[in-house]
Formats: sequence, C-alpha cells, structure tokens
Amino acid sequence: MRVAIVLRAVCLMLWVSMAGLVQAQGNLEINTPAIAALQGSMQQRHAQLGPLYASGAVGIANDGTISLRDANSVPLAQRAQVNSLVAAENADRAALYREIARANGHPEWEGDVRRTFAQRWIDRAQPGWWVQGAGGWVQK
Amino acid sequence: MFPSSAIVVTAIYPPAYSLADLAATSARVWARALPLVLLLILVAITPSGSLTAATSVRLDLASVDHPSFSLHRVSIAIGAEGSTARIALGRVRFGERVWSDLELECSQFVLAEGRIRCDSGRLRLPGVIEPVTIALSFDPDKKSGWLRLRSDQDESVDVSLRADGGVVLTLGQISLARSAAWLPWLAELGPGGRFDGRMDLAPGAGALRVTGQIRDGRFSDPTGLKAAEELGLELDIGARLTGGAWRFDGTLSWVAGAAYLHPLYLESGASLSAVGVFSPKHLILERASLSLDGFRSLEANGVFDLDPLHIERLALSLADADLAVVGPRFLTPLIAPERVSAVRFGGRMSAGLQIVDGSIVAIDAALDHASLALDDPDVGLGPVTGVLPWRSDTETRVSLDVGGGHWKKLILNGFMLEANVEDRSVSIESLSIPVLDGRLVVTDLAMQRNETGWAGGGGVVVEPISMELLTTAVGLPQMSGRLSAALPGLRISPGEVSLDGALAISVFDGYLWVTRLQLLEAFGVAAHVFAEVEARNLDLGMLTKTFAFGSVTGFIDADIHGLELVRWKPVRFDASVRSSPGRYPKRISQRAVQNIGALGGAGAVAVLQRGFLGFFDSFGYSEIGLSCRLEVGVCRMSGLDTGDKSDPASGFRIIRGGGIPALNVIGYNRLVDWDELLDRLQRVIESNASPVIE
Repeated sequence: MRVAIVLRAVCLMLWVSMAGLVQAQGNLEINTPAIAALQGSMQQRHAQLGPLYASGAVGIANDGTISLRDANSVPLAQRAQVNSLVAAENADRAALYREIARANGHPEWEGDVRRTFAQRWIDRAQPGWWVQGAGGWVQK
Repeated sequence: MFPSSAIVVTAIYPPAYSLADLAATSARVWARALPLVLLLILVAITPSGSLTAATSVRLDLASVDHPSFSLHRVSIAIGAEGSTARIALGRVRFGERVWSDLELECSQFVLAEGRIRCDSGRLRLPGVIEPVTIALSFDPDKKSGWLRLRSDQDESVDVSLRADGGVVLTLGQISLARSAAWLPWLAELGPGGRFDGRMDLAPGAGALRVTGQIRDGRFSDPTGLKAAEELGLELDIGARLTGGAWRFDGTLSWVAGAAYLHPLYLESGASLSAVGVFSPKHLILERASLSLDGFRSLEANGVFDLDPLHIERLALSLADADLAVVGPRFLTPLIAPERVSAVRFGGRMSAGLQIVDGSIVAIDAALDHASLALDDPDVGLGPVTGVLPWRSDTETRVSLDVGGGHWKKLILNGFMLEANVEDRSVSIESLSIPVLDGRLVVTDLAMQRNETGWAGGGGVVVEPISMELLTTAVGLPQMSGRLSAALPGLRISPGEVSLDGALAISVFDGYLWVTRLQLLEAFGVAAHVFAEVEARNLDLGMLTKTFAFGSVTGFIDADIHGLELVRWKPVRFDASVRSSPGRYPKRISQRAVQNIGALGGAGAVAVLQRGFLGFFDSFGYSEIGLSCRLEVGVCRMSGLDTGDKSDPASGFRIIRGGGIPALNVIGYNRLVDWDELLDRLQRVIESNASPVIE
C-alpha cells in the first residue's frame, strides 16, 4: 500500500513537472502572418469595442472570450450589431488561440493558450472595465 | 338604535357553493369575494340580516379563510350614518401571494335604503397600492353595485356588479410598473407603459371576455438582453368555463415598438391567435397561429405543465418561409452572429419541429430553391431543393438536389447530396460535384459535432479538369493541361482542413505536384493555406508566351517549400527555379531580358555583353536559376550561385550565357520587397513595355 502511494506521488510529481515543461516551452508571443492578420483585425475592432468596455456593456470573460454582459447602455436597435461585434471578436480570439498553439507545433495546447490569454486579458483590462472572476462580474 | 358594539369572530369560510373551480382565475374569485366581504360587514352590524341604522359599529375578525384567499386581523369600524368607516386587514393572502396592512377609509359612509355607499374613500396597500381614492355602492339584496378606484397618476379601475351576477371590470391607464408589484415574474423584467382594458364576466362566472391594449410599453431584464421599447399590444380573449377549466380563444397583436430577445432584434407587426384550454395545472394549446412577415404560416400545438413550467408536448410548423427575409432576421444571429452582414439567403423553407418532455425529438426541414452565399470568402451554394429530416433516436436520410454553387469565379454545376444523419453525426458515402469538365468527388466523409465544432474525415478525388477551362473560369491567362488530385486523407477539425495525398496539375507540358495541403481558418480573417509544390519540366516557351513575358525556350524545374498563403496571397515560402536537366534548345528573347531587368528595378540587374543586346532578337544561354526565400514581406534572392554575400557590389548569376550570341544576367538586389516585385511583374505583363536599356 505504502509503495503504491509513493509511486502515485512520484507519477504525480512527474506529470506536474512535465506539464510545467510544456508550459515553459510554449511561446505566446510567437508571430506568424496568420497571427498578425488576426491581431490586425482585433486591433481594428478595438476602436469600436473600447467604449463598450468602458460603459460596461461588454465585459471580459474568464474563458478567453468577451461577453455582452449589460446591454442596457446600448440603444435597443444597436444591440444586435453589438452582439455581432462581440461574436466576431470571439471568432478571432478562438482562431488566435488555435493559431498560436499550431505555431508552437502543438495544436493540442489550444486550451492552455486560451486559459493563459483569458487571465492576460483580465490582467490588462483598464480600470473601470468589467471582468469575470470566479464569483461573477466585477469592475476593475 | 343599537348601542356601539364590538364583535370578535373567527370565520372559516365554508365552501357552501363550489368555489374550488374559482381558483382558476383571480377575476372570478374577486368577483365573488368583493360582495362576500361587503356582506360580512352587513352580517356583522345586523345580526338579523336586515339592514338597520346603527350609530357606530366595530367588528374584529381574527381570520376569514377560504381555499383561494384568507383575511387576517380584519377590523371594521363604522361610525354613525353619513360618518366615516374604516376597514383594516392585517394580512391578506390570495393564492400564493401575501400582502400586509391593507386599509380602506371612507370619509363618507352611508348605510341607507338597503345600500352601502362609500364616497371620498382612500385605499392603501403598502408596497402595492399607494393611496388611491375609492368610491363604492352596493345593494346586498340585489347583489349589485359598483366600485371606483382612482390614483394620482390618472389610473382608474371601475368594477360593476350587475344584479344578474355579471361583472364588468374596466381598467384605464393602469401603470404596468406599479402593477408589477402584483406579479413577481413580471417585476424582474422592470415593465413600464400603460394598460387600458375591459373584462366582462358573464352571470354565473361561466364566460369571460378580456380586451385591452398596452401603450408605450417597455421592459428590460437586468442584463438588457430581454428588452422592449415603445411597445403597443392589443389583446382580445374570450373564455368559457367548462369542466373546471377555461376554454379560450384569443388574439394578441403587436402593433408598435421593437424588442431585443438575445440575439434577435424584432420589430412590431406580428400577431398571435390561439385556441386552447387553461387550467391551474395545464395549458393545452390546441392551435396557435403566428402571423409574421416572411412566413406564410407559423403554427403550434402542445401541452404545457404549469407547475412547474414544463413542455410536455409541442409541435411547431412553419410554411413557406422566405429565407431572404427570415434568414438575416432569425437564422444568421443564431448560427453565424459574427457574419451578420456577410451572409445572404434566398429561396424558401418549410419546417416542422417536435418537442416531447422538454427535448427536441424530431426536425423536418424542406428546402425549396434555397441558397446561401458568403461575401468573404466569395462562396455560395444553391438553389437547393430537398428534405432534411432529423430524429433523436434513429438515423435519417438527407436528400438534396443542389443546383450549383460557386467559389469566387469558379462555378460548380448541379449535383445530388445524399447523407445519413444520426444525432450529432453526418456521413456521406459519395458526393460527386461537377466542376467544369471534371469532377470533385468526396468519399466516405464522416463528420461529428463535438463541443468545439465539427470534426471528421474522408477522401477527395479530383477527376481531370481542363486547365484551359479552369484558368479561363478564374480569370487567369489561359493555360493548357489538366488538373487532377488524389487526396485520400481528408481530415477536418474546427478551423482546419488537411489533405494527405497529392494534387497533380499537368501544365506547360510538364507537371506540378501539390502535397501536404492544409487549409486553416477558412472563413476567418486569417484564412491561410500551407502546401509543398514541386514542378518539373515546365516548358518556358509556353509559360512566357502565356504571361506575355517575352520568349524563352527551354524547360525549368521549381520547388516551393513551406508555401503559406494568407487570404490567398503568398506570405512565406522558400522557392527555387532551375533549368531542367537535359539537352534542349535554350534561347531567351531580347524582350524577356528587358523584362527581367524591369523586374529588378534600376541597377538591380546587369546584362553582360550589353553591347550586343541591341543587335540580336534572342540569345543563347546554358542555365537559368533563381531562388527566393520570402519572409515578412521581403524576398531574399539568389541565383545560380550565391555570389559574395558580404560584398554588396557582388551579384548573383541568374542566367549563365551559352552559345552565340551568349548573354549573362546578374542580379544585385538580394533583398526585394515582395509587394513591389508583384507590382512590377503585374506592370510588365500588362504593359509589356520595353524598358530602356542603356
């Protein structure tokens, strides 16, 4: 029994250390023409999204996406367009995570890339923007 | 004259007549409750049941209980005739709702000539009814009377109790915001606007008719994802009590305003009519019909459990939906919200959907010349006619007659699509799409929908397509030859299509092999393609003639490694071109030499033995070689030899002369802007102008 516990602990430590190694090898700053195209598209869209972040209509979710969290500050007739803008941003973000994982030669890292970026977006959110924490939406 | 009296009573309200069925509607219960409460007052002050003048009376009831309502701590104090009256209810329960501290004060209370009359009264129920003025008159013998409520916001409630037992309730300018206090589920939506309406309850409470309208209505949930503004609704419902349930028939028309029901933005113009049966436990929708722009008909029937709300059975059907109208409004926001402005629909669709026990069990869609097109990338499919059945518990067969399609300028001809659909998977045994004079054949395609999207695989074969037709169709200079492919390893995953195998193109009397094809993010801004290209024995004479680049005889081989196209433009590759091995005539025309010079820009290319150039139309050469490694928009050039890279003055040989007259071409620009190079090439081909050779 004791041997089994020790073995299990060793396996766990090995797995944890290998996972760390995988993380360490990933290059989130990697650049490819496709990544540059996605970043350009997102940067261009940011001019429209900026005021929506500031008003709280759109928040930064903890799964690497953005979300139409409080549409009350958006005129009714424009809510569908804002939703379309949010969906387009999320489509680009999903493609970006896939592309970074591919560029690192590990498409299976997409989930890790997404999680890392999710935290990065939240950390970099400007004061006053809404971000999704474990307990729900909070204003930075 | 009776002395002032004080009575304490606990009244358990007996179901002397069947009141259980009254619970079905509040209107009906209140219709009977109001005279009963008033009768209690009378009974209290006149134990004999006959109305007699009293100086002052006080009645305290501990409770009045009924299955539908209960009153606690009832206090009734009536002064002398023409004096004041005060009724206070410490706690009122009606159904599941409970209110506290209801107060009714009449500054002029009259008991005379068999009638109770209250004028200049005030009614107050904290949190529900702010003080409103009240006036009432009731004749207990005839069981008739009226009640009038007026608020300081121009709201009015008029109740008329007819001697025959009928009741008319008229509501004027009722604030929906204030009414929400009565309806917790409505309060969550923060309603606003005004309601005018009338309810007629027939004698015996067996029939009911409600008409009314909402003006300037609005609502919004806390997120703003369910919201409406400037709403105008018109309601007309008739109902009859049968066997303990209400059989209803009514219409609801949406005549003004707009709503956002995430992700749909809807504007007024819809009208709903419904026939069914309503009981406290169930709603049976025998037929509901929704009139909506873009649909010939939209109908539903079903059974709903109301406690708690649950769909027991529901069938929806829509007929002749005009996809050009309903597609952008309902389909795109649901299936492709990121491309709302880029998707175009056409044709018609009819469909049926069945829900059992809260789950979708069957969908049937019939397409009639339906079409779908995207602006970017420019692709389209249609007209499509056929049926798409789906069952939750069994495999179904989809059969579609596809009239054609296009990808950019390339037109696809008509074909039949047969597929098997089961739960979240689709399989196609064989799909043969005519393309010009050849075919694109997809075999053994199996796709499955998982949480991230569609994934699966199969095989692709391209049966030979004429390059003459293909290049003409896509707007390229006409080339001869054929294109074919055997790609047995088609793999599809979210954002990725990979093709193992080779695409072969016989062109310019040689051939091209394209392998390791990979298409990524095909519908996004970063759509890109990876491939390896190998070309052998391309006839330079045909090639240069096709692109009007002068004339070069001979053959070349080319290798393009790591080719990457982003939005169909090359962004990365490592390419090299060399004369093919073997003995064959090798000549280059003066114009071709000049064009090579023009491509390199001023000083980029030096033509040795320049002095002879003007005297001959063509020159001999022994070998051609050029390579370009494209990265970050810059092409790193070299030729047959690399030259001395450390010496900027040292060039690299592009053409090595041979024969008489011979000619050598040396390149000097090792770093060339790719876009600039393409522009020059375009200009050279278009103008075919002769640059000045010094």
